Amino acid sequence: MTQQKFKRNCLIAVTLAAFALPLAVRSATYLHILIILYLYAYMTTTWNLVGGFAGVLPLGHSVFVGIGAYTSTILWLQYGISPWIGMLVGAVLAAGVGYLIGKPTLKMRGAYFALSTMAFVEGIRVMVENIDMLGPLKLNGPRGLNIPPLQAGEGSFWAFQFASKEPYYYIILTMLVAVLAMTSAISRSKMGYYLKSGGEDPDAAQALGVNVARYKVTAMAISSFLTALAGTFLAQLTLFIYPKSVLTLDLSFELAFIALIGGRGSIAGPIIGALLLRPVTEFSRIYFSSSLPGLHLIILGVVLIVVMLYQPRGLTEPLLRIFDRLAARFATTPPDSPDTPDTPALPGIPVAPGAPATASPREERP
Amino acid sequence: MKRSHLLAAVLTLCLTVPAMAFAAPSVKVGNILPLSGPSASVGQQGKQAREMAVEEINAAGGIKSLGGAKIELLYADSKSDPNVGVTEAERFINTEKVHLITGAWNSGVTYPTTAVAERYGVPYLVPVSVRDTITERGFKNVFRIAAKDSWWTRDQFTFLKDMQKEFGGTLSTVAFVYENGDWGTGFAAQWKELVKASGMQVVLDEPYSSSSTDLTPLVNKIRRAKPDVLLLVSNAADAILLTNTLADYKVSPKVILGSGGGHADPTFLSACGANARYVFDIVEWEADVNKPGAKEANEKYRARYGTNLTGEAVDAYVAMYVLADALERAGSLDPAAIRKALAETDYKTGPGMIVTYDAIKFDESGQNRNAALAIVQINDLGKGLERITVWPKAARRTGYTPVFPMPKK
Amino acid sequence: MDPVFLAQDCINGVLMGLIYGLVALGLTLIFGVLKVINFAHGSFLMVGMYVAYWTVTLSGLSPYPALVIIIPAMFLFGYWVQHLLIRPIFIAEKNVREPITVIIVTTGLWYVLDNLALLVFGPDYRALHPNPLKGQMLEMGEIFVSVPKLYGAMATLATAGGLHLFLQHTRLGRAVRATSLDREAASLMGIGQWKIFNIAFGIGTAVAGISGAVLTPFYNVYPTVGIPFDIKSFVIVVLGGLGSIWGALVGGVIIGLIESIGPNFMTSTWTEGIVYALFLLVLFVKPSGLFGQKQDW
Repeated sequence: MTQQKFKRNCLIAVTLAAFALPLAVRSATYLHILIILYLYAYMTTTWNLVGGFAGVLPLGHSVFVGIGAYTSTILWLQYGISPWIGMLVGAVLAAGVGYLIGKPTLKMRGAYFALSTMAFVEGIRVMVENIDMLGPLKLNGPRGLNIPPLQAGEGSFWAFQFASKEPYYYIILTMLVAVLAMTSAISRSKMGYYLKSGGEDPDAAQALGVNVARYKVTAMAISSFLTALAGTFLAQLTLFIYPKSVLTLDLSFELAFIALIGGRGSIAGPIIGALLLRPVTEFSRIYFSSSLPGLHLIILGVVLIVVMLYQPRGLTEPLLRIFDRLAARFATTPPDSPDTPDTPALPGIPVAPGAPATASPREERP
Repeated sequence: MKRSHLLAAVLTLCLTVPAMAFAAPSVKVGNILPLSGPSASVGQQGKQAREMAVEEINAAGGIKSLGGAKIELLYADSKSDPNVGVTEAERFINTEKVHLITGAWNSGVTYPTTAVAERYGVPYLVPVSVRDTITERGFKNVFRIAAKDSWWTRDQFTFLKDMQKEFGGTLSTVAFVYENGDWGTGFAAQWKELVKASGMQVVLDEPYSSSSTDLTPLVNKIRRAKPDVLLLVSNAADAILLTNTLADYKVSPKVILGSGGGHADPTFLSACGANARYVFDIVEWEADVNKPGAKEANEKYRARYGTNLTGEAVDAYVAMYVLADALERAGSLDPAAIRKALAETDYKTGPGMIVTYDAIKFDESGQNRNAALAIVQINDLGKGLERITVWPKAARRTGYTPVFPMPKK
Repeated sequence: MDPVFLAQDCINGVLMGLIYGLVALGLTLIFGVLKVINFAHGSFLMVGMYVAYWTVTLSGLSPYPALVIIIPAMFLFGYWVQHLLIRPIFIAEKNVREPITVIIVTTGLWYVLDNLALLVFGPDYRALHPNPLKGQMLEMGEIFVSVPKLYGAMATLATAGGLHLFLQHTRLGRAVRATSLDREAASLMGIGQWKIFNIAFGIGTAVAGISGAVLTPFYNVYPTVGIPFDIKSFVIVVLGGLGSIWGALVGGVIIGLIESIGPNFMTSTWTEGIVYALFLLVLFVKPSGLFGQKQDW
């Protein structure tokens, strides 16, 4: 088979394996860790629409997680509306907020944009912490909102609560696969192309009449919508939300780190980043925290520094090159004819501004 | 291989296999604590207190009804984050297969992690977290040693009433100043209810951010409100900053009453010095309590770790003894048996019993019905600053008369 | 509202605001020259405070005389951080005006420094001993002025003045200004770009050291002490204009006044929100800040 076919088959195999995993892994702890891993990969992928494709650095993205979580929770607790519906309501709300935030801030240069997103998430956090009742809605300030669990051993799809981990696993995995497909489609669409060009050479793009700003804001709105869905999922998984859990800079930073270490503009970047970073932080916390508290954060900091110094575009590129070499070794027929279109056949290949469309030795930015 | 080697291997096997059969199982206790992050200081104290207790228990022969089984402590850092706490609780139960869990200091972490333990049927002993609702959910596996926070606030107001009766004079105005988190706002909500029956007028209701860089505006607000009573809920850094700033600006209410936590932190006295004099604080325990073994335990802890035991550390210490006592009575590692033994606890005497009250007994909701609080006053009696138990009157240190009201600055 | 109370609040607001400005001064200097926002700035302040604490504890000097040790120590620290961590990124991202990667590296540095301090020094809250300034107040009737804050405000003005003189009237200072205005042109003129960057970073860090010495007489030292100051510094730097010395001081005073006068109208927890709202307002209306240079944008 050709290289491309091989890569495609690999991808399908991995996806099927992920869906089949709960049949092999029965431990609730490991399923839980995988669920959180997929959740972070999901949130980082939606982050990537702004942070990778639009080329700016949002450091306040958890505000959308918070909006999603609080909206669905309040609707459930006070009005009995199913969290599935609440999820959509929260997502629409988040998209609106994303649009309002994006419009003025996406015109700014990198560091200022980053700072303003931080100010937004902190400002909203302060507001929620100080407000007990917002009109008829109970926000409960810093004490947060508790979702009463259903009776032990029972689950309900309507209430978005399940007795075991498997349903949560499948939900988040489906969300993740869906969002990856969506990102891949966007990257190949007109919008993705314009975002890429806007990132590479904004003046030329503008001269050609491309309204880069409009596409950036659209990307922001889509990203906010999708991120808020994760907020509801998180609320239903942990059954307890409070300002410092969902409206926090820590979460925003972590999403950015995962994407940057994985590779910002690429689709595989968030997954690879999550696969690398989350276990490192979890396991170093588990093994070191009682003897050397805070060590897991030192490790995270060092990893960040080292990766940014030596592979600032992220670890996806070198890893994919290894994958390509494997594919080449297994391919039995020569690659397709040179007339095939230049679009990447595989979602893993980076489409970041300035990045090569096929694997090649690392270039300096022009 | 050579015959002699084979013989040696077989002999070794013959010796170890029976030895393994006779080796007592160890009891695994998982402890969820904030070992890093903003509550790292108290998390470390909880860890130290547990270690000291378990060392003593194991040295005295472990759990005899389980063949001398030793208690093995495992720790998980919650970073004061409920999500991390939940992941760690699941890991303790499913991977580490602990027999018991204790934790988690932050009520916000204890609340969801006890739910996890309840779902799996693993007994969970809460030494410190005060939020009322932890034992109000009808759970069967959750037991708490500390008093509920509604008891703390109730005792604070009873103390104020008793002081007025004992020393005369009236307290007519009160200011509520509290940290803006879960703990502070919870206390404040209860104060607002309790104050209605007290006849005092609320002149200030001010939440503040624990990580404020400057508390002077807050102090000036207090100064202008001129309250008779200043009720505080503070974490350590802000308790220190607030006390120093209050002294600097010569704010002189008749009574300053803290709520434990930051005011009880070991570094509070050294960081504030004379500014902390005459401040009252409500705690579970104090080093001068009139109980056998209390002084020795405190000396030992102090020698090892450099600071006095705090109420929370004592709760952790006695929790280990309560666990050991329950395990002795259960005689098995079956969770249902352990749970039953815990529910039947009536711990009155023993090396761990250095708390102020007479027995640890859990009611149907798992709450220790005897948990009692004490009020201390910080004063210097010539030997440096110390915390002196003043209330209830029966527990007051002999020979000490509380200074009430505070002298004006 | 009582004019005496207002005066009291204004005085505190100005003094504390100037001290905030001092903390932000290091950050704005680094941005002005290198065009990078150092997210580890709060951690540098924390390091400065620990350095001040240990210098005083070990030598018995009071914090202000201890500056002779603190300033060079912090300068060297900053110099080497720039040289080892930031310079390689600049070289790799030569044509990007403000490398975003630096933000990430400095964030990593922040995590490392704060938790290293936790590991090495423990979570305890340390107060300065000996502390001749502890609790000293000037009392003018109802109005109280904190003496350590007064010293701090004076230190701020002295530092700002000193930096101004340095930048305007010394050869090295002029080289620094030239590099901040136009990196390429300055290097074409023979000014060693890397050396200037290292020096600027060193100076910014040394100013963080001065802030540490100023804060320790009335503020406790612990590993995460830098974080609330960090965020405030960003707000001040944007408010005043990145790169502007006087902007940092004016921005600091504005924040100080909001924090001190605000609680008369609302609880202090809301003033935090006002600060963020103001921050966003400035970003939308005049991103270059009060005194910033238009050409940055």
